[in-house]
Amino acid sequence: MTDIVIRIEDLCKTYFMEGGTKQDVLKHIQFQIKKNEFVAIMGHSGSGKSTLMNILGCLDRPTSGHYYLEGQDIAKASDAELARIRGKRIGFVFQNFNLMMKRTLADNVSLPLMYQGVGQNERYQKAVELLEKVGLKGYEDRLPTQISGGMQQRVAIARSLINNPAIIFADEPTGNLDTRTSVEIMNLFKELNSQGITIVLVTHEEDIADFAKRLIVIMDGQISYDGQREKYKS
Amino acid sequence: MIYQILREAWISVSAYKMRSFLTMLGIVIGVAAVVLMVAAGQTVQNEITKTFDSMGTNLIIVAPAETVSGGVRGGRARPSVTFDDVEALKTLPDVETASYVINTAAQAVFGANNYGVSIYGTTPEYLQVGNWEIESGMAFSDKDLKSGKPYAIIGQTVVDELFGLQNPLGKTLRLRGKPFTVIGTLKAKGDNLMGSDQDNIVMMPATTVRQRLKGSHRPQYADIAFIKVTTEDKMESVSNRAEFLLRQRHRLKESAPSDFSLHLMTEMVEKVRQIGFILSVLLAAIASISLVVGSIGIMNMMLVSVTERTREIGTRKALGAPNKWIMLQFLAEAILISFIGSFFGMVLGVVLSQIGGAIYEIQVPISIWSVIISASVAIVVGILSGMMPARKAMKLDPIEALRYQ
Repeated sequence: MTDIVIRIEDLCKTYFMEGGTKQDVLKHIQFQIKKNEFVAIMGHSGSGKSTLMNILGCLDRPTSGHYYLEGQDIAKASDAELARIRGKRIGFVFQNFNLMMKRTLADNVSLPLMYQGVGQNERYQKAVELLEKVGLKGYEDRLPTQISGGMQQRVAIARSLINNPAIIFADEPTGNLDTRTSVEIMNLFKELNSQGITIVLVTHEEDIADFAKRLIVIMDGQISYDGQREKYKS
Repeated sequence: MIYQILREAWISVSAYKMRSFLTMLGIVIGVAAVVLMVAAGQTVQNEITKTFDSMGTNLIIVAPAETVSGGVRGGRARPSVTFDDVEALKTLPDVETASYVINTAAQAVFGANNYGVSIYGTTPEYLQVGNWEIESGMAFSDKDLKSGKPYAIIGQTVVDELFGLQNPLGKTLRLRGKPFTVIGTLKAKGDNLMGSDQDNIVMMPATTVRQRLKGSHRPQYADIAFIKVTTEDKMESVSNRAEFLLRQRHRLKESAPSDFSLHLMTEMVEKVRQIGFILSVLLAAIASISLVVGSIGIMNMMLVSVTERTREIGTRKALGAPNKWIMLQFLAEAILISFIGSFFGMVLGVVLSQIGGAIYEIQVPISIWSVIISASVAIVVGILSGMMPARKAMKLDPIEALRYQ
């Protein structure tokens, strides 16, 4: 029981449009993610995968159903609680890195800790450690503008690790990178996964999904496939 | 947490140097203008007070009553206060001293020079009453007053106009053809409030004026009298006692109007000070319009900044920033800008006001008000202009904000 990180039960998300029409984006989704899994979520645009990702990442709430993150039901949490959960238990990696261009890499990496009241020195120390872990030793005082896109994504990955999260959500992490750098970044994810970190990856590229062990395919707001990556042929 | 927020705000403000500088400039100019205007107003008030001090402080002026005929106010009636009245006034409690003056004017002549002067026939106490000081030589004595000696004490304007670089002491000047010996000179006072030169004066014993320059069929009457009161808070009571005493001495019936009028210098000072105060408030109010413009500048800049940094805000929220944090950070940026702006505005205002004072050779006070004004402006303007943008940042939906290009 304790090794279940995410449990989704009968989760629905409905958008109510102006003029009274409503759109069911997610319909009765149900799955679990265990500790140390590496899951890829695939789907065409408009399939609802982004909405699912937002809910999983505690940026949005489901209309109905339950979402348990490490046993805690998130569905009814307040904005402030969601912010706290994001800061402490979730790591984000975005497609366009979302680094702060005017801050050093160390500042960028340690940003989530600032909101938890961790002191300047301790944050810097941790940032240096994590930068080393993602292969950017000695880069802590540089600015994001001084390094390549692939390196920037490594910084973002280091940032996602800083709060020892239960799970990392990577939303199209290689979308802005060339093929060679994409492979490097995915290998880094794979390595982190082998060290025991749970990763959920959203992508629409088959090759990128190949790095994951498990695949969930979303189609029209429902799960159309959930199983081992190798067994799925589109 | 406050340190962290301020640090974040400082990094953001210093990241956009040009923009932050230009925004600050609005506040710098606004605060400098207010500080300058307050300094100007205070200088005016100080100068007024100084002039009043030079005319004598804690004075009650005893003038003849105004004539009223058929409900129409006319000029002054003929003199009604006698030398003996003034002696009696001196004996009242809380009266430091009292004096009187017989005014006239004449052309003063020394050698080839001549100059129109005011002549004050008075008593030795007048120096004390009118805050006059002897610059050189000496004053005339009570003895000189009794015997009507032809002695004169002259003001600096008279010294300059008649004697130039010569030492006037012991010299003889002529008024209406009669000789008077200069026994002393007075320290300069400058112009009075009406702009007339107080130093254009020849002071001599009242009896001398009566005997030699301004005869009268009522020689014992003074044109005007002055009572110097010990302290300012006794002005009212002394005035009442003086009125009672003079009415008694003039044998006025209870229903009869006084044949003299009493004017309290403190009241006049207060009135003029009030005008000075209203003037400074008005000036400051006009100057603060530029502060309003400056704060609109900050708000504008912050709104642009929030829009520009939408994705940053989204990222921060995704990484666990509480809404309160986001709001405080933007608020802190606005306050920081207005704080720095106010500080430099204050410095600029003080420096400019001192330069102005140096140019016009007037002492300009550096008041605590400048500091209070700029500090409160910094906080108020910062909060007012930062509030709306900060709330806008706080209310951003992280999902929308992350998607923002």
